[in-house]
Amino acid sequence: MMVALLPLVHFGFAALSLAWGRVTRELILLSLVVDAVLVGLLSAGLSQGKPLVIVLGGWEKGIGIELAADRFSLTLTVLVLLLGGAVVAYLWHERLRPYFFMLLHLLLGSVYTLVFARDLFNIYVTLELLTLVSFLLVGYERKPYQIWASLKYLLLASLGLGIYLLGVAIIYYHTGTLNLGLVAARLLDQPNAPWVLLASSLLVTGVAVKSGIFIFSLWLPAAHSSATPAVSALLSGLVIKMGVVVLFRLTSAFSLSLPLLVLGALTGLLGVIYAIFTYDLKRMLAFHTLSQIGYITLGIGIGSEIGIAGSLEYIVGHGLFKGLLFLAAGVAVQTAGEGDIPGLIARRAKIPLSARVALLVGTLGIMGVPPLAGFCGKSLLSAGVQSPVIQTVLILISLGTVASFAKLIPLFRIERGPSSTWPVKLAFVILGLPILLFLPLARLLVPATQLSLSLHVLPFVKSLLVVGGGLLLYRLLSRRPFHLPQRIFRLEEAILVILSGFFLIYLLSVLG
Amino acid sequence: MALINGVTIAIVLFGIGLLGLILRRDLVIKLLALGLVNGSTILCLVSLNARVDGVAPIVHSPASVPYVDPLPHALVLSAIVINFAILALALVFVMLLVERYHTTDSQRIEHEIEGERTP
Repeated sequence: MMVALLPLVHFGFAALSLAWGRVTRELILLSLVVDAVLVGLLSAGLSQGKPLVIVLGGWEKGIGIELAADRFSLTLTVLVLLLGGAVVAYLWHERLRPYFFMLLHLLLGSVYTLVFARDLFNIYVTLELLTLVSFLLVGYERKPYQIWASLKYLLLASLGLGIYLLGVAIIYYHTGTLNLGLVAARLLDQPNAPWVLLASSLLVTGVAVKSGIFIFSLWLPAAHSSATPAVSALLSGLVIKMGVVVLFRLTSAFSLSLPLLVLGALTGLLGVIYAIFTYDLKRMLAFHTLSQIGYITLGIGIGSEIGIAGSLEYIVGHGLFKGLLFLAAGVAVQTAGEGDIPGLIARRAKIPLSARVALLVGTLGIMGVPPLAGFCGKSLLSAGVQSPVIQTVLILISLGTVASFAKLIPLFRIERGPSSTWPVKLAFVILGLPILLFLPLARLLVPATQLSLSLHVLPFVKSLLVVGGGLLLYRLLSRRPFHLPQRIFRLEEAILVILSGFFLIYLLSVLG
Repeated sequence: MALINGVTIAIVLFGIGLLGLILRRDLVIKLLALGLVNGSTILCLVSLNARVDGVAPIVHSPASVPYVDPLPHALVLSAIVINFAILALALVFVMLLVERYHTTDSQRIEHEIEGERTP
């Protein structure tokens, strides 16, 4: 019941916020309260340990659309609540049209649907809805660069989902069902038939375009850095994660271990390299979305229980600190009137202290300083990895992350600045507090036996060493300006790269 | 199976659409090419699940006759509506860009926007 209501509530509220344009803020607050109640009921329903399954319209399984909730989806709904609350607080004093709030409701509703989705075509429709909503949200202010970034996003995402639909067509032709569970059951006797490999690489290519994998999501740096701060926070914290969640659901039916591991390593390393040499604050944060998706994809690619738990922790952690970083960066850029990191540092006296503290908390979180959010996810992930190659990749990504965020350190001098309004501070607290208290909260996410793996002395020492090494790397690199190719982010080149990415995935799934 | 059937035509159309997306610089033609790509996936979905000797899937028809699978129809309808929405919204945004830059050439627009952001 809650599984169907959570998405529906928001689609209803979307219509209401257009009808009652005067009370949109109060309406979205009310919708979040309703969500919180429903999530509470959901967690009570899940407490027996069995997933809740509902087939819409009373059809039998395999014909109707199935929605299901497990602990994974419950955790994601909590993340949606936190990010939604923070964004609403952040926007409390902004003057926005009711249309903007309608889009926010549609975004939250489709995110909830994806969290529970178990049907290939339902996933397609919801991803398309999410594409349309984010397209409109990125271009909300109608500035030319926003319009171009969102148009590029729409073209690439639509192409990607076209490719996904081809995969769905092949799957339906051979198995006669769209339900992921039934597809998995019917593929058991022929897991490596040529058509399965083709279909799974089509599906993965399509979803990868939406989920922030470097060679597929080349629209992301422009779109996420040009949107308004609240929208960037939602896109980076939630919308991108939904693609990854779909990738995770696909692993239940197809064997995607090798492709996901290679994609995760690629996106992690390339994202970090680009982030190190990017000096625009929001663009650097956008590149870090690409790099941190690498961790999550690696965890899913590992596929063991600990790997998945690490991914889940990192999805939540990254959602929290990337949301916080984007919101704080929005305040900083707005007050200082500069988007460049050197410019921001020069004018740091104009930036409110709360925004600088929020940036600090987010930075420490993403660097993986114990015992904050990033550390928990990273240590759990590396506890789940056996292969030394993947271990090295994980450490390299962490080093690069620290090195690129070290650019921000001069911002964090404690000195008085102007004060920001209380709703903005509240937004920072909603996201910052769980980052700081992540270790006790993580007990609710993953079983204690798995959590204890990440709580030895070794991960603490290791992550401190990585932070030190990253700072050293920054000192080495900071004097060397280096121009990475920016052409690949253009529309035509991005399409070519996506196509070659498809062949890469196909090759890897044949090998794997 | 004949060489020229729905699936092969869909693959050819998909390729033509991709070439149009990559090679043509005019944004409107790019959108048409995207329409071709999405249309070809729909053609593929329909023709893969087509049944030449089937009848319409209506409950009252005699049960002995093989009937066409109704599910792909539902899928295709949703996909067509979604593609229509995407095309319409994309055209609105193209219109906004054209009003400002007086060109539909994607590379010139991209060039001008990059110039504006980094003076």
